[in-house]
Amino acid sequence: MRINRFWAAILLGIPLIYLVVFFVTPLGMVVVDSFSNKAGEVTLENYAIVLGDPYYWTVLGYTLWLALVTCVATLILGYPLAYYMSLIEQRRFVKRICFILILMPLFTSNIVRSFGWIVLLGRDGLINQGLLMVGIISKPLRLLSTEVAIIIGMIYVMLPFMVLAIASVLQNMNASLREAARDLGASAFTTFLKVTLPLSVPGIVAGTLIVFTLSISSYVTPRIMSGGRSVVSSMLIYDQFMLVFNPFLGSAIAVVLLVTCFVLIVAYTLILERKQPAR
Amino acid sequence: MTRLFAKLRDRIGTLAVSLIAWLVLIYLVLPLAVVIAISFTTTEYLAFPPVGFTLRWYQRFLADPSYVASILLSAKLAFASTVLGFLLGVPAALVLKRASFKGIRFISNLFLSPLILPAIIIGVGVLQITDALGFARSFPAMLVGHVVIILPYIVRTTLASLDGFDMSLEEAAQDLGASGFATFFYVTLPMIKPGIIAGCLFGLIMSWIDVEVSIFNTVIAESPIPVKVFNYVQYSVDPMIAAVSAGTIYIAFILVFLLDRLVGLDKVTGQK
Repeated sequence: MRINRFWAAILLGIPLIYLVVFFVTPLGMVVVDSFSNKAGEVTLENYAIVLGDPYYWTVLGYTLWLALVTCVATLILGYPLAYYMSLIEQRRFVKRICFILILMPLFTSNIVRSFGWIVLLGRDGLINQGLLMVGIISKPLRLLSTEVAIIIGMIYVMLPFMVLAIASVLQNMNASLREAARDLGASAFTTFLKVTLPLSVPGIVAGTLIVFTLSISSYVTPRIMSGGRSVVSSMLIYDQFMLVFNPFLGSAIAVVLLVTCFVLIVAYTLILERKQPAR
Repeated sequence: MTRLFAKLRDRIGTLAVSLIAWLVLIYLVLPLAVVIAISFTTTEYLAFPPVGFTLRWYQRFLADPSYVASILLSAKLAFASTVLGFLLGVPAALVLKRASFKGIRFISNLFLSPLILPAIIIGVGVLQITDALGFARSFPAMLVGHVVIILPYIVRTTLASLDGFDMSLEEAAQDLGASGFATFFYVTLPMIKPGIIAGCLFGLIMSWIDVEVSIFNTVIAESPIPVKVFNYVQYSVDPMIAAVSAGTIYIAFILVFLLDRLVGLDKVTGQK
């Protein structure tokens, strides 16, 4: 169906204007604000504060570290699940159950999911009860509002994204390549290592990128799991906008976070491209 | 002998993968199951395993007008932003697939970029622009923000469904005398429907569970249900809030069921 120029311009133009007004312009405003102060002057003082105070560096560092840990952990946990789903190709019913179990948490708010962990990690929660029963510990551990709780919560929230990204690549992989390797005498493990794993790299890349960017801006999970202390950048941004009412400093923190995220992603993709021979 | 050994080793490998996979699946549903279980406890505090069985906490939350108002607000917001996302996203995807001009790749990427931009920054940005336009912290402010975050889902799935689309079918219809509109409604739309439905359901869900954009663009008195639960959970947790949370899990289940029925779960998640 050919669409004439006039209709094409309207059908694409309106959505485009919408994006420019409510997405591009707001981002521009955040950037402009980050260079402004209450008096409306152009200034670098927000950046002087954000970049000059070790506290902000610590928070940014922790944010990046948390995102990295989440990435690695979801990859380790998510890959076997995604791989398993590609193995049960014929068992449609089992596969459907897998999908339901993966999508259920994804379709539930982060808050509800974190709430589940509050119960599990609580003083009388399932984890403590289990550990006490087995006899590993003699009195309940303090698990809530700890580093461990934040990491468990983050991994939990991000895992479905990683599984889906890898699964979609593994599913679309040409099965005859694996069969050929097996027919030529490779063991299942060698086939996995030499054929499946290298071919699934695009899925790993997509998954780690999604998980990393989502983790970096994650607000709800760290806030609930940490018991409310400011530990990640998004909380500082929230505090500046909604509690301290200093959108200028808040914008500067947001821009620093955005630029860091952008630089890391570009570096990551560049390194991968260099490693991957041109196809 | 060596072949038998190799076979045994393969089996153990497969078994190990299955075992890990199921443990991960249990990890994925455990917290949700716990929230549901707790919502039925007869105790005044969170008890796991739950003590007894009661629907009291559901009654209490449904009798609280502020929770009902929150849920209605969330539903209204999700539907409105999905409709708006559909009206903007589907035509954009149709044109993006067909037109060829300089910068089309850039525009495609622009439509998908809200997906990789930290949601909290989108929330902050929407607050700034709606403040400048004079409707900050209101329903319309949340609405325009939600449309921005769900638009990529709708554009992406529509584009994906157009990928496998045989354009000659449209030409055939037009050669046989169908008008542009007839071709679209009788040929194009039925074939890309699964992609559009999947995108819209994803959009609906992303709006329904969003906190990061809503929290910057609402007032406490009229907040969508995730924000309301969030504000509550930070200070205390009780069986009533477990019932509210469980309610959102049932809704997630209904949406997953709908996706499976209407589109097929493997298609939704980009498989095959």
